[in-house]
This record gives sequence, C-alpha cells and structure tokens, in this order.
Amino acid sequence: MKMSDASLLRSLARLGAFAVLPMTAVLILVWWLSVDSTEGTLVRFSNALLTSFTFVSFILLMTLFVYGDARKRPVAPLLGMVLSVLLGAGMTVYFLSQGELLMEDNGSVRAQALSNLIRLGTTLIGVGLGVMVVAGTLFASLMNTPPRRIQFEEE
Amino acid sequence: MEEATQAFVFFWLAGLFVVLGAMLAFFSKVHWQRRLGGALFGSGLLSLMLTPWTLPFSPSSAFGHLLGSLVGPVVLLGVGLYQIAFSGHVPVGRLSRTDRTVGIVMVVVGVLWLEAMHWWVLTPTYPSEVNKYWYIFWPTMLLAVLTCSSAGYAVVGLVGEERQQEQRLMLVAAALAIVLMVLGSLFDGPNVEHQRFATELLFAAADVFGAMVGAAVAILLFAVVLAVYESQQPAPKRLDPPTQEQLNQASQIIAQHVGGEGEDE
Repeated sequence: MKMSDASLLRSLARLGAFAVLPMTAVLILVWWLSVDSTEGTLVRFSNALLTSFTFVSFILLMTLFVYGDARKRPVAPLLGMVLSVLLGAGMTVYFLSQGELLMEDNGSVRAQALSNLIRLGTTLIGVGLGVMVVAGTLFASLMNTPPRRIQFEEE
Repeated sequence: MEEATQAFVFFWLAGLFVVLGAMLAFFSKVHWQRRLGGALFGSGLLSLMLTPWTLPFSPSSAFGHLLGSLVGPVVLLGVGLYQIAFSGHVPVGRLSRTDRTVGIVMVVVGVLWLEAMHWWVLTPTYPSEVNKYWYIFWPTMLLAVLTCSSAGYAVVGLVGEERQQEQRLMLVAAALAIVLMVLGSLFDGPNVEHQRFATELLFAAADVFGAMVGAAVAILLFAVVLAVYESQQPAPKRLDPPTQEQLNQASQIIAQHVGGEGEDE
C-alpha cells in the first residue's frame, strides 16, 4: 500500500471517529442516566431501515431518467431499480404483517407504513436543519476571517 | 370529498410534489423545469403546512403542524447566517455592517426560539398535547448538530491551515448540543418530561442509523444495477492503427515544431 493511501485511510478513520464517538458517548451517558428500558429501539431501527431503503430506491429510480438521457434510455437499469423499490415495499409489508414484529401503535399495516414514511420525513428535516446550522456557522466564520497576506522575507 | 381522498390530495400528493419539485429544481438543466420544480415544491409545502385546517381529522396533520411551527426559527437561522456570511470578505455584493448585526440578532433569536420550544411554553402542541413529531425532530436535530460539528472539527483540522477559530466554533456547537441533550435527559421542561426526552433520544438515534443503513444499501444496489448494465454493453469501436502515410505526415509536423529553431531567430 502506498504511503498516501495509508495517510488517506488514517484521515478517514479519524473523521469517522470524530463523527461517531461523541454521539455514541452521549447516547450511552443518557441511557445510563435516564432510560429505564430500550424496548422498541430495534423496531424503530428496522422500520427506519426498510422505509429509507424503499424511499431512496425510489429517488434513485427517478435519477435514472437523467441517466437514461445520456445512455439512449436503457430499460435494464430502470427495471432493476423498479424491482428494488418493489422489493423494499414488499419486505416492509411482509414484516409489518408478521404480528408484533415491526408494528407499533398503529392499527393496520398501511397506517404503520404511512407513519414510517412521515417519521422518515421528520428525521430528514431534523438532520437537514442540523447540517444547515453547522455548515452555515462554519461558512459564516470562514467568510469573516480576514484575507491572508503573503509575507515576503525582507531583503 | 371523502376523508381518504382528502388525505391523499392534501397530504400525500402534496408530499410527492415536494419530493419531485425538489428533484426537478436541483437536478434539471432546463430553466422552465427548474421553475416548475420550485413551484411544485412551494405549493406542496404550503399544502402540507395547511393540513391542520384541511385535514383536522387525520393524525398525519401533526406533521404539517410541526412544519408550520418550524418556519419561524428556520427562516431566522437561514437568513441570519446568510447575512453574517455575506457581510464578510466577499468580492462582490458585500452586505453592510448593519446587515451583519441584524444577522447575528436573527441567529440568536432563532436559536433561543428553538430552545424555548423545549424549555419554555412554546412547545408545538397539537391538538391538545405535545406534537408527537416534535419528540422525533428535536432529538434528531441535536444529534445531527453534534455529529456534524465534531466531524466539521476533524475536517477543518485535516484540510485547513491556521483555522483554530473555526475549530473552536465547531467545539462550541458540539458542546452546546451535548449540554442540551444531557440537561434534557436530567430535567423536565414545562411540557416535556426528562425520561420521555431520553427515550426519544435513543429512538432518534435508531431512526438515524436505520435510515443511513437503508440508504446505503439502496445506493449499493443502484451501483450494482448500473455496473451490471454497463458491463454488458459492447466495447466502443476501436480506431484502425495509423497508416505509413499518416505516420510520415505526423513525423514531419513534429519535426517542424521540435527542431529547436524558431521562425523569429
């Protein structure tokens, strides 16, 4: 492995650690301080996974129309992504219909699926607003830093 | 109109308009399509925010109520950060010092507004209890701020030089998010109990991780579908090798230009 590859890997590992470790530490602290039971967390994770898979597959399916313009409108990848969307939707319905496996407080499979979709929307808004605040703060700070001048050595 | 039809038109169709409108506005290269995308996005969003009035019978209208509750602080934060950024060292269209001051005030008020929604009486309440989607939004946003600011700290350290001020700012943002999460888990707000907040924080983390894993799997599958399709395409036609006559012509042209004697010498 080249030296630059090793350095890149180290940088990525450092970035990943900074992104994940503080959040994990806070979650463990909060769980230790105030949470009695973690029941339902796995259900939320599974519902979010299936909903996100189906939703993102649908979005990627839409982007294939842009791709199709550049590649003489191929049918094969479009069919592949349609199958992917159907697979996600099918798996969601299947697991939701297995009794209490993924069902929460909703009365029917359809209500639970729609509730999952709205919850994904809320999560996306929360993440989007968080990103906007941090990126905006960073950008504003960068733009307000005085421009640097090159210091030449005195002759 | 039946309730189900009303819900379809005012909520789900509007949601589809928001998604398709955003995609058209961002990805289309045609001007009128981008404008159409913006119009679809705006009308869809407006319809979603009006659902507490158009669909008062539907539980989904709580989502529209949350969107409406967030408009104020989001506009303050967005416009405020824009004003601060573009009153800095920008070459063209620089805003005045007053704009910068107004921007700072807007950001502070926006942040205080969001805080007041947890720690004061401004918590979104719909219809008579705390909006259930607020319990998802607020912990998710705090987690996102913490993750982005700590990742931002690492990125600035990796790619920037002498950017200690930005790194300090990222640390402050991360510390603020941590303090808010820990305080929320220890003390009750006027409308939100600390145990409920702590549980919702774990649920929010599960939602975010689940959404990330699901999106990653979908993207991986998308890449596989495209790679399989591309690998099945016939190879592009190769050009014939150059003839002796073409090689002679090329060598003459090269000799004219790399001979070492210019025309002006």
